[in-house]
Amino acid sequence: MPREVAVFDALVPTLLFAFVLAGLLTLIIDWLLARFRIYPHIWYPALLRLSIFICMFAGIGLWIY
Amino acid sequence: MNVMSLRWFGVKSRVLMPMRVAWREWREEDAPIFAYVIKLLIASLMAMWISLFFELDQPRTAMMTVAIVMQMHSGMVFAKSFYRMLGTTIGIMISMLIIALFVQERILFLLCMAIWIGICTAGSMLFRNHQSYAFVLAGYTLCIVGLPATLHPEQTFYIGVTRISEIMIGLICATLVSDLLFPKRMWGVMINTMRKRFNDFSDMLLSTAKVGASTQSVLPKFIADIFSLENIQASASMENDKSRLYSQRFNLMNKEFLQVSTSYHAFNQLQMRLHNADTSTVRALLDSIFIQLVRAVSMDGRSARSEDEALQIERQLNLFRQMFVDRVSVAKAQLPLGMADYERLNFDTGIELLNRLSQELHAYTRRYASFTSHETQKDLQSVAEQSVKLVTQFDPLLVALAGIRGALTLASLATVWILSDWGSGIEAITIGVVTSTLFATAPSPRNTILKFMGGAVLGTILGYICNFHLLIYAQGFWMLALAISPAIVFAGYLTTKPSTAPIGAATFIVFMMHLGFNSTFSANPVTFVNDAIADLLAVLMSLLMYGLIDLSTSRWSRLRIAKALRQLVIKCCMDKPSISRTELENRARDLVQRAGSIQRTGEDADQMVIQWLLSLLEIGHAIIDLRENIQGLEDPVLVLPMNSVFQSVAKLYASPGISNRNLAIKAIDQAMLAIDEELASLALEYARRRQLMLMLHFIRSALLDDDSVLVTSEQHMLEVA
Repeated sequence: MPREVAVFDALVPTLLFAFVLAGLLTLIIDWLLARFRIYPHIWYPALLRLSIFICMFAGIGLWIY
Repeated sequence: MNVMSLRWFGVKSRVLMPMRVAWREWREEDAPIFAYVIKLLIASLMAMWISLFFELDQPRTAMMTVAIVMQMHSGMVFAKSFYRMLGTTIGIMISMLIIALFVQERILFLLCMAIWIGICTAGSMLFRNHQSYAFVLAGYTLCIVGLPATLHPEQTFYIGVTRISEIMIGLICATLVSDLLFPKRMWGVMINTMRKRFNDFSDMLLSTAKVGASTQSVLPKFIADIFSLENIQASASMENDKSRLYSQRFNLMNKEFLQVSTSYHAFNQLQMRLHNADTSTVRALLDSIFIQLVRAVSMDGRSARSEDEALQIERQLNLFRQMFVDRVSVAKAQLPLGMADYERLNFDTGIELLNRLSQELHAYTRRYASFTSHETQKDLQSVAEQSVKLVTQFDPLLVALAGIRGALTLASLATVWILSDWGSGIEAITIGVVTSTLFATAPSPRNTILKFMGGAVLGTILGYICNFHLLIYAQGFWMLALAISPAIVFAGYLTTKPSTAPIGAATFIVFMMHLGFNSTFSANPVTFVNDAIADLLAVLMSLLMYGLIDLSTSRWSRLRIAKALRQLVIKCCMDKPSISRTELENRARDLVQRAGSIQRTGEDADQMVIQWLLSLLEIGHAIIDLRENIQGLEDPVLVLPMNSVFQSVAKLYASPGISNRNLAIKAIDQAMLAIDEELASLALEYARRRQLMLMLHFIRSALLDDDSVLVTSEQHMLEVA
C-alpha cells in the first residue's frame, strides 16, 4: 500500500483516510449497538466506543504498513 | 455502653446529618463545575502537548478550540465540535479559492471577503444554535486563514492545512475528555426538563382553576420552554445511547405540548371574556367542568411527580373523556330556559374548547407517561412515520441587515488597515469580524459585547503576566503547563455561569491569541501591546456596528416581527390550500424565537410581540378549523359569506383598527345568519354546521375583546409614525 496518496496533486498520508474510515466503521458499529440495545449491558459505553475506534484504526494502519 | 451509643447518636444527628446534606449539595451543584474546569484543563494541556509533539505552528489554536467547544454536557461538546469542523473546513476551502482568484488585487479580494462574510452572517441568522455557529465559523475562518495568506500567498495551503490540523487536534481532545472523564449526559437534563414542564403545566392548571387568573404572563414561558427543550434535544441526539432512539417521539411530544398550551390559552381567553361580560351561569358551568378536568390532571391536589403517576393521570383523563358527554348534558340542563342565543353559543364554544383541550391533554400525557418505558420497535416506527416537518420562517430584511453588518465591519476595519498601513491590522480585522458575527443571534448583543470587552481586558492582563513573567522561566512541558494553567482555570470558571460566560469566553480567546510560544518562546512586548490595542479597537468597532444596525432591541425590528406575525394570519385566510395547524404554530414560534422577545418579556415592545403571537395562535387556529370544515362545500349561499369572512379578517390583520374590526364582525354576523338560514336546505350535516357556528362565534368574541392587541395596537402604530 502507498503511504501517501495524491489528492489534487497534494500528498496526503494514507493514514488520514484510514482515520476517516475507522471513524465511519465505528459509527456503524455504534449504531448497531444502539439499535440492538446492547449499551445497557456495558459498563462504560464511551470507553468501549473509543476502544473499538482504536482497534479499527490500528488494524487498518497495520494493513497499510 | 448505652450512654455511649446515645452520645454517638447525638453526634451523628448533630454533625453527620448536616454534613451529608452539605455533601449532597456539593455533589449536585459545585462538583460539576469543578469537574468541568478539570476536564477543560486536561483537554487543553493534552491538545497543547500533541500540537507541540507534531511541531505545529500554533498550539494555541488547538487550545483555543478546546476552550471554545468545551461545555458541561458531552452531547453539547459533540454537536459543537461537529459543526466547528464543518464550518472551518468550508471556510478554509473558500479562502483558498478567493486567494487563488484575487490575491494580486487587494480591493477585489477584500470585497469578496466582505460578501462571503455577509452571506455567512445572514446564514447564521437563518439557522439555530450550533448550525448557526457553523455559518459564523465559515465566515471568520476566512479572516484567520485568508488574511495572513495575503502576505505570503505561496503559504496559503500550508496555513490552511496547519489550521485544520490544529483544530482537529483540539476537537478530538475535547470530545475524548468530555466523553471519557466524568461524562455528563444531556439525556438526564432532557428528561428532567420534560418532567419539570409537565409539572409546571399541571401546576398552572391547578392555580388558574382556583383563582381564575389569566395566562397571558405564563404562556410565553411555556413557549420558551419548548425552544429550550428543542435545543437540548438537538445536542442530545449527538450522544449515542438513548437520545437518538427517542428523538422522534420527543419531537412529537413537543408538538403536542404546543397544541395543549395554545388550546388552553384559547379556553382561558374565553373564560376571561365571560368574566368581563355579565354571564355568570355560563361561566360557572364551564368553570365547574374545567375544575373536573383539572382534578383529573392532578393527584390529591398536586401535580404528578413521575412517569408512573402520569400514567395514572392518563387513566383519569381517559375516564374524564368518557364521562364528558354526560357531564355536558347535565350542565346543559342547568342552563336557564330563556337564555339569549349568543350566551348559548358562548357555552357551546366553551364546551368545544374544553373537549379539544382534554383530548390534546390526554394525548400529551399518554406520550409523556410512556416516554421512558420500553416500546417495541414497531411502535417506534409508527412514531417515525408521523414525523414533524420543520419549517423555518424569517424576515428577509432583518437577515440581510445582519449580513450587511458583518460585511461593513470587515470593510471599515480593512479600510483603516490599508490606509494607515496598520501593523496589527489582521488581528484587528479578525477580532472585529468574530465579535460582529458571533453575537448576531444573541438576545441582546450589546450587553454581550460589553461583557466580551471586559473579558478581553482581563485576557490581555493575564496574557501579559503569563507571557512576560511566567513563560520566560518555563522550561519543559510541565513548567509550560504550570505557567498557563492558572489563566485557563480562571477563564474556565468564568464560563460556567451564564452571567459571566461572555467574559470567560473573551478572556480565553484573547489570552490564547496572545500566548507567546510555538515551539520556542516568541513573545514580543511591542507586538503584544499593539495587538492588545488592536483587539480593543476591533471590539469597539463591532459595538458601534451593533449600535448602528440594531436588530434585536430596537422598536422598529419588533414592529416588523409583529407585522410578519400578522402576515401569517393573512396567509391562513388566503392561502390555497390553507397551511396546517402545526405549520402555523412552527412558523409563528420560529419568528418570535428569532426576535428573542421571549427572553426579554420585561420590555413593552416585546410584550407587544407576544400579544400578537397569542392573538395569532387564537385566531389562526379558528380560521384553519373553519377552512377545514368548509372544504368541499360548493353551495354559493355558504361559500360566499365565508369567503368574505376570511377576506375581512385578513384585511383586519393587514391594518388593525376599529373600523376594520367592525367590518370583520359584520361579515361574521352575515355568515352566521347564512348558516342559520341554510338549515332548511340541509346541505350541511348537523355536526359540521355546529362546528362552523362555534368557530365563527369564537372569532367574533375574540375580535370583540376591547383589550385585544388588534384594537390597542392602533395607538402603537401612531406613536411610531
